[in-house]
Amino acid sequence: MKIWKSAAALGLVAGMLTTAALAQDKTLNMVVIEGGDTTAMKAVVDSYVATHPGIKINLQSYPFAQFFQVAELRLRSKDKGVDLVYVDAPLVASYASRGFLSEIDKGIDVSTLVQTSVDAGKYDGKQYALPINNSAQVLFYNKALFKAAGITPPDGLTVDQSATQKDIDALASSKRWTWEQIADAAKKLTVKDGGRTTQYGFSVEQFGELYQLQPFGESLGTDVISADGKTAEGYLDSEAWTKAATYWANLYNDWGVSPKGLGYGEAAQLFTTGKLAMFAGGTWNLPILSATSVDYGVAPYPYFEGGKALTPTGSWYIGVNAASANQAEAFDFAKYLTTSDEGARTWFKSLNQLPVFKPLLDEISTSADFDKFPQNVFRMGVYDSLNTAKARPVTSAYGQLQDAFRSAFVDIANGVAVADALKAAVQKYDAAVTRVAQ
Amino acid sequence: MTTRRTPLLFVALCLAPALLGLVVFRLYPIALAISDSLFNVVKGDTIFVGLSNYLALFADSAFWKSLQVTLWFNLLMNPIQIALALGLALLYVQKFRGITLYRILFLIPIGVSLPTAVLIWRIMLTPDGLVNGLLNVGGLPAQPWLTSEGLALYSIIAIATWKGISYWMIFIVGGLQNISPEIYDAARIDGARAWQRLFYITVPLLRPTLLFVLVADVSINFLLFAPIFMLTQGGPADSTNVLMYEAYKSGFIFGDMGRAMAIIVVVVLLLLVIVGLQFKLLSSRAEAAA
Repeated sequence: MKIWKSAAALGLVAGMLTTAALAQDKTLNMVVIEGGDTTAMKAVVDSYVATHPGIKINLQSYPFAQFFQVAELRLRSKDKGVDLVYVDAPLVASYASRGFLSEIDKGIDVSTLVQTSVDAGKYDGKQYALPINNSAQVLFYNKALFKAAGITPPDGLTVDQSATQKDIDALASSKRWTWEQIADAAKKLTVKDGGRTTQYGFSVEQFGELYQLQPFGESLGTDVISADGKTAEGYLDSEAWTKAATYWANLYNDWGVSPKGLGYGEAAQLFTTGKLAMFAGGTWNLPILSATSVDYGVAPYPYFEGGKALTPTGSWYIGVNAASANQAEAFDFAKYLTTSDEGARTWFKSLNQLPVFKPLLDEISTSADFDKFPQNVFRMGVYDSLNTAKARPVTSAYGQLQDAFRSAFVDIANGVAVADALKAAVQKYDAAVTRVAQ
Repeated sequence: MTTRRTPLLFVALCLAPALLGLVVFRLYPIALAISDSLFNVVKGDTIFVGLSNYLALFADSAFWKSLQVTLWFNLLMNPIQIALALGLALLYVQKFRGITLYRILFLIPIGVSLPTAVLIWRIMLTPDGLVNGLLNVGGLPAQPWLTSEGLALYSIIAIATWKGISYWMIFIVGGLQNISPEIYDAARIDGARAWQRLFYITVPLLRPTLLFVLVADVSINFLLFAPIFMLTQGGPADSTNVLMYEAYKSGFIFGDMGRAMAIIVVVVLLLLVIVGLQFKLLSSRAEAAA
């Protein structure tokens, strides 16, 4: 009995102490995506908090599949429990136009950041979000599976070679595989046993996502939507997109070389277990793959024969909730995360995403530390971001576009006719634009 | 006499908690939905738009398609569920060897929460899952249960039915046990066959129970959301995009609360009309029969 009583008393005292401590400290709350992003953010937060006594930063992480809804809902309800928010590049316009984000403090010097990335965080000429990193997509291939099938793999970077920025520029500009070459190889790399596929030739990492598939049709010459963002008619249902979507349909149906409906992280998992020979995915897979024994190479993101090489780009931004009561503190952390040497480096080391912090990009191109595999893969990212990167369209109905696009491409993979699926997506987007423009 | 002696205050006190719940959890949200459906958020400002969200729905092909899916879904699912629940209930009250095992088996789905049940079914319905495995053993080709336009809606109906019928069965079992056995004895003596006893005694005497089950089942199925959210997200090609999911997408994914609330109000009105019709048709016939 006595022990219980003293324990209860102790608990009470401890509780009072924490409450007192909280009252003095400022606690910032940030919504972020679960997984690697949270781990990286935790690392940056730890180094920030170490030099900023009195500030606590609480990370509220949500799975990717729910993140957009949660962020939308909490920002719209002017939730004071959120100070900092992770913003996907194309959503800046949508959030800023509805007054969700505070204009970025003009005192923050962004001259160390890549200008195109900074510009993508603007709406109506004002800065609403700061870029945390950029992204680059590459083609991962399993060397052993190519050897077993007796096919020459694409030219790429592998574990036994080092490569300078110049070598990689040459590789990316002249030896990039076409989607036609991918299809040929994938057919030979697909192994079927009875009715079941035991080894797939190729997959994209993000099933049906606009981010990953935008270069499909656009590399054939037609954008997803019109330049003014008002319509998708004549764009998403154009000849170029029909050709691209037919290729996509064949991957899943006629050729049967790609696994349907892969979830978040599943492509890397199939790849490391030898059940997938190639996948197009982000550089964030490098630490995952290098932690396993799979012998892999990295080639540039493919393009269509006769088309132009284009690659996905753009990534996450940080913004300050307009309803937050801790504006100054929130901006200070955003500044540290994006524009300080320490913050940018900690983030890059943990997440392995192509940086937007220029001193770090220069280092990737020139430092001998990045000659070796897999660090030299970031040089491919540097080449692509300067030469082939194509940003996602700017439209205040981006959410609807992303959803309509995903539904169409998931449906096509599941056997819905290409023309019907694209037409439905065009209708949905055009209806959404009319509604948003009211 | 009895009316005069009714302690009104006491009755009101007893009803108060239930009435309060009704107001807070039913009437208030409906009022909120109606009021929200009259506003739109444009560039950060909430603007009164009158009935324009409703007028926009009239011209909205996605809404009409979704309405069509919702009606077809319910037209199929409710009769199937009630017929199966009635069949199960009739089996449940029989007395034969091994009945206890059977009763336990059919009560299991009630104990499983809906999301868990949906997850289990999703695993069983994957291309390489148990269901296709069984088909292969039987020499039949694997089916794209949740990913084909022609099958997805029916797969969802099957899952929701599997989960729902034993719950409704319990109500019908209660109703069956209220029917006095003497009536059956009398019918047997008169030479009525089993199917005649079912149609002329059981079903008419079950009418009040069946009315309740029908109304409750229709209301629940009209508002069914979880299996669609978890399995198909309204796809493929919008074949499972019921109004509840369309409203959810509008409000929570695209941030268009005005349209979402307008859809919800339409669903509530539709449901009121359908339930009203059911009451009128079924209860008046029941009174006439009595």
